[in-house]
Parts: sequence; structure tokens; C-alpha cells
Amino acid sequence: MINFSNVSLIYPTSTKTILEDLSFSIMEGELVLVIGSTGTGKTSLLQLINGLVPHHTGGILAGDITVDGISTKLVRPGELAHLVGIVGQNPAQGFVTDTVEEELAFGMEALNLAPDLMRKRVEEILDLLALTHLRNRAISSLSGGEQQRVAIGSALVMHPKVLVLDEPTSALDPIAAEEVLSILHRLVHDLSLTVVIAEHRLERVIGFADRIIHIAGDGNAKIDLPEIILKDADIAPPIVHLARALGLSDVGLSVRDVRRMTETVRDAGKDLEKDSPALGTERILANDLTVKYGSSVVLKSLNASVRAGEIVALMGRNGAGKSSLLATLVGLQKPTSGTSHICGKASIDLKGKVRRETVGFIPQEPNDLLYGQSVSGECQQGDKDNQIAPGTTYALLQRIVPSISPDTHPRDLSEGQRLALALAIVLSAQPQVLILDEPTRGLDYQSKALLIALLQNYSKELGRCVLIATHDVELVAELADRVIFLADGEIVADGPTLDILLSSPAFAPQVAKVMSPRRWLTVADVISAMEA
Amino acid sequence: MKSLHPLTWWIWSLLIVGAVIATNSAWVAGFAIAVAAIFVHQFAEDAPWAKSFWFSLRLGAIILIVRTMVGVLIGVPIPGTKLFSVPILPLPSWIAGIRIGGVVTQERLLSSIHEGLIIIAVICLFGAAVSLTSPHKLLRVTPVVIYEFGVATVIATSALPQLVQSVGRIRRARTLRGDEKPSWRSIAIPLLEDSLSRSLELAAAMDSRGYGVSRKRSRYRPIPWQQIDSAVVTSALVALALVLVVR
Repeated sequence: MINFSNVSLIYPTSTKTILEDLSFSIMEGELVLVIGSTGTGKTSLLQLINGLVPHHTGGILAGDITVDGISTKLVRPGELAHLVGIVGQNPAQGFVTDTVEEELAFGMEALNLAPDLMRKRVEEILDLLALTHLRNRAISSLSGGEQQRVAIGSALVMHPKVLVLDEPTSALDPIAAEEVLSILHRLVHDLSLTVVIAEHRLERVIGFADRIIHIAGDGNAKIDLPEIILKDADIAPPIVHLARALGLSDVGLSVRDVRRMTETVRDAGKDLEKDSPALGTERILANDLTVKYGSSVVLKSLNASVRAGEIVALMGRNGAGKSSLLATLVGLQKPTSGTSHICGKASIDLKGKVRRETVGFIPQEPNDLLYGQSVSGECQQGDKDNQIAPGTTYALLQRIVPSISPDTHPRDLSEGQRLALALAIVLSAQPQVLILDEPTRGLDYQSKALLIALLQNYSKELGRCVLIATHDVELVAELADRVIFLADGEIVADGPTLDILLSSPAFAPQVAKVMSPRRWLTVADVISAMEA
Repeated sequence: MKSLHPLTWWIWSLLIVGAVIATNSAWVAGFAIAVAAIFVHQFAEDAPWAKSFWFSLRLGAIILIVRTMVGVLIGVPIPGTKLFSVPILPLPSWIAGIRIGGVVTQERLLSSIHEGLIIIAVICLFGAAVSLTSPHKLLRVTPVVIYEFGVATVIATSALPQLVQSVGRIRRARTLRGDEKPSWRSIAIPLLEDSLSRSLELAAAMDSRGYGVSRKRSRYRPIPWQQIDSAVVTSALVALALVLVVR
């Protein structure tokens, strides 16, 4: 279906070859997963398939790519619209109309399909993706998961033979991600749709992949069966790390497979006593917090607290009110009633230097915090704001990610590097409380490990408190002491990570699913249980 | 009012712009801005682009102030009632006829404000049309024959509302860095990057969904031209005719 022959790609402004002499072909009805660290060219590879690269982005392309026999060199992306559906990394930025129904019809209108045919297909897709109740809603009012489904729907409605998705689950909670992936799985099996997905969170997609393309970053890429690629790839889901750590001969890709291989481990390991961390005083305190936007109530008289030395994860489905709660806690949003205090000060009154030293906040788009022309400029601004010795912020950044060159423009950094820069700036003020909104979106495993180490160090060594809103259960398993679970503006569960994550299968990390009923969450837990 | 045809407000504001320019009267211009403000306040949906009018009003005010200052300080003197005088800046003799500073007369001030008001009215009427029309709906009625124009319109008309949205987001983030009064430059740079990358992404999305491939475009749900649309356009036509006759 898709055929790459001797493809090389280079961008004129860059000295690095993105892809070099890459040849492979993807059969009809295959689900292929593209993996690689951030900035290695996963998105470029995906956009090559419908010709957005190089038609839209520029770049020098050698070799040839054909989709269903049509060379992408010869036609514009639009002329492949009936053949290739593409869903970008950020679907919200690609919407062209106002309502769900109009959005689904847009592509078909452009191809001049007959109105009655359009009606039929729109109904089909509304049913398939469970969007019927949203048909007349404004797209801007939908939650992230719903928007993602609309984006996938508006690609599928064209009846393409190939569907290309760039990180389709990165903004979704585990349940919504599962829904989207199982729909894709069904399409592949029922309609022989060919699907190409790029994704960082392998634990979510690995079970569905027929083959994997691993982009190494130096221009080389490998394509092979998942078992073979993951045997020695630097990027691997927790389940593979588990197999490696236990010295299993095969890597299993599904929970079921690995469970069969690890029966002895489950029987042998000792139960772990997790010592609860020594906690200080209450640093974040929300008291009877209610927030309303117009007539809709987003937070319903909510009480919560976070203590010094504690790392708390805020979880919940898309639209549960996590972002509203964070905004209220840091003082961006005025509560309708109730109070929110940080270190004894009302959040809404925090200003200037006091604010920087009290609470650091990393928004979902760390980019918003950055406005300098270079990394060093950004760091100098941080030093100046906090009246600390010049170079402190940059030194901190070097500790987090040593490889950043000071002259780089923040825009040219990878997701992980940008997050590191924002963190360095926020942490240079040494805030008592650090709050992060979805920090692992678009991060590869390597950057995630760095983030975990940094936050652990910050909280445990310095006795500061950290609050993270996230969908990433693996991150929560590795990092958090406590989980607050939010649903519909109310706290439905609040307790130690172990209890909360193990109480619902949808939110359990991979290792926990393998090791159930034993109470181990991470690879490290299993290893120390074996050694004990 | 949600069901108005997307072209209605654009035709309306174009006609009113015509009327304002034809009369060249500050009173008419002021009246037009006031009417536009009332319409936007009454009829604009709760959507990101609805704020564009108020943004254009602020932009207009800045233009008026700058223009008036430049108009008063630089240029050919107009004789009349003296208000106050500013020291004259000596200029080389070869640009005789132009001077900087000097006597500021009431006439000169008024003519500057007058011209400024007309410009504001044009900007605000454009802003009102953006506020009252969904850019996405506008795209649906744009003929595909002018494909590049269609893409450009959507991007241009969604750029202004997005700009307004992004300013809010960046301001919020800046407050978080403890920076209550962020400098103009520190907002403008991320803003520009943001809107550029969004525009490119939108254009890429439209392209990969086949926009402009077929010369003819079918309609999923045609947007009807209703009596209320005719009424709005007629009112503007009457206004235009009226000012032309009175003039």
C-alpha cells in the first residue's frame, strides 16, 4: 500500500539528515508504529506519506514514495485526500469549521461529493466514533478526547485506504485512549485499513502494532516485527523493561504473554513495605473551593491539601476539572466561592517576586513561559528576575539537560528540552511549591526519566511539594506518593498511589497488570521484591 | 441571530464603510462606530472571534492618538484660532513648506482628529464584520475558484481572533513568572510565532483534506439567504443612499 524506495530527506536549514536511504513497504491492513526520540523525524516520516513533506514544509527529498501506486512527488497533498487521511499532533489547530457535523463534511464538500452520500457517511462516522450526541456542538467546546475523535472521524469519513496519526493519544486519558485505539484496531481488522501511528507512550499502543519503524536519529531507520525491534531498542514500554530486568528470554508484548512467563516471580517475591515519606506542614490548601464558568460548575466545593515533601498526582478523565483546579490553586482563576492558599498566602494575591518564590507553575504549553531570543537570554532573564548570581539558571539547565547549546532559539528545542528550560527558569527562584500541568505530553522515555529524577530530588532533598496533573499512569507509578482522583469537579478518591492505581484496571500501570494480584507498580518494585 | 448568512455582515460593513468615506464626516464615522458597537454587543456569539471588534477599537484609538500627534506636529500650517504653540524644529532649507512644531491651531487639530476618526471607523467596521461572522462559515461560502483567496481569508480572519486569544494565554503565563506588566516585546515575539505556526498548520490541514482539489464544491447543508439577511443589507443600502442624497 505504502512504498518507500531509497528515501532520503534533508531540510535546507539543517545540517542533519533526517532520513537516509530508507526503503520499506507497508501492506494493506497493517498497523505500523513509528517510534523514536523527540526530534528524530517521526512527524516528517508521517507527513511524507501524504506529501505534506516536502510540498508544504520544503526540504530536499530523494528517492520515491508511492501510496496505492501514486507517487507523492507528482501530486499535491490534496489530491491524495481520498486515499490518505492524516490526523496531526494537535487536532485543535487543524479544524476548519465550527461544528462537529460541518467538520466531518468539510473534506467531502471539497471533493464535491453528492449531498446524500455525504449525509450517509456522516451518520456512519457519528455512530462509529460515538459522536452522535455531539453532532451540533461547537468544536471549541469539546474536551480533548472528543476533539481527537472528531479529527479521526473527519479523516475516516473520506473512506481513505491509509490513516496516518501523529501521537493520537498524547492528550487523552487512559480510557479515552483505549477507546480510540480499539476503534483503530477494529478498522484495521474489519476494513483492512492501513494505519501508521507515531506514539511515545508505547505501553498504550504496543499491543496493536503489527510492525515497528524505529528511527534512530542519525538518519537510519529499522523496520521489523515488534518483538525483534524491542529486544534491544533504547525505547521500550515498561513491560519490556520488566522482561529485560527479569532476564526473560523473550520479550512479551501483551500483559497476557508476560503474565504467563512470570508466574514464578509472582509466587516468589516478597511484599514490599513502602515507608511513607516524612511530611511537613500543609503547603497547598484548598478549602470549599467552587468554580463556575457561567452556568456550568467545574469545581464543586472541593477540599484538598498537599504537604511539604510530598509529590501528589492529580488524575481524572478529560474535562474532569483538573486544569481549572490548577488554575485556581496558582491564582490565575478567581474561585466563585471558597479559598485557595499556598504557604498560608491567598493564591490570588500572589505577585512578582513573592509569587516566584512561593509557587512555580509549568503550563501545558511550556512555550508560553518563554520569550527570549536564545536559551542564554532566557536564563539571564531568570537570573535577573530572581536577583541571583549570573549563570545560576544556565547551570541548573545544564544539570537537567547537558546538551543544550546556549545560542539555540527556544523554538528550535525539542519538547523535552523546552520543558527543561521552562523548569530551569521556574526552579531558579526555588519556589516552595511546584505545579505542573501535563508535563509528559510529547516527551520520550529518556526525557521522562530525567524529569522524574529531577522532581524526586527537588521534593525529597529540599522538602518542597510537587503537584502534577497528568494522564500518564506510568509517570504516576514512578513518581507520586499520593493520587487525587477528580471526576466531574469533585474528588472521588484520594490516597496512596498504590491503592488508587490498583483499584481500577483502566488506571493500572502495565507492570501492575502483569503482577496482579501482587502489589507492585514498577519494574524497580518487582526487582526489590525479588531481592528482598 | 446565529443563522445569519456569513456574507451578510461583511456586505453590511462594506456598505457602511462606503457611506463613511463618501460623506467624509466625523459625525457619520462616530455614529457608524457606535452602531457597530451596539450590533457586536447584541449579536456576537460567545466565540473567540467575537472579541475582535473590541480589539480593533483599541487599535483604532492608538492610531487616532498617534495620527493626531503626527498631524498636529508635522505638516503644513493651517491658519486659524491659536490653541498653543510648540517650539519649531529647525529643518534644512531644501524642505521648505514642511515644518515640525510651531503654532497648533484649532483647525489643524480638528482636521487631524477628523481624518483619524474616518480611519478608525473603517478599521472598526472591519472588526465588527470579523466579530459577527464565523471565519469558518465564511470559508464555506467562498467559491473554490478563488482557492488561494479562500485559504488566505480563513487564515486572515482566524488570525485576528487567535491573536486576541493568544495574548490572553501568554499574559497568564507571564503573570506566573511574576511578571505583572510584561513588556510589549516579550508578548509580541511569542505571539507572532504562535500565529505563524498556527496559520501554517491550518493551511496544511486544509490542503491535506483536499481543499481546492475539485473546482466545484458540494454543500452538505446549504446556508440559506434569509429575509433577515436581506433586511440587514437593505438597511445598510438605505443608509448609503441617504448619505449620498443628503451630501
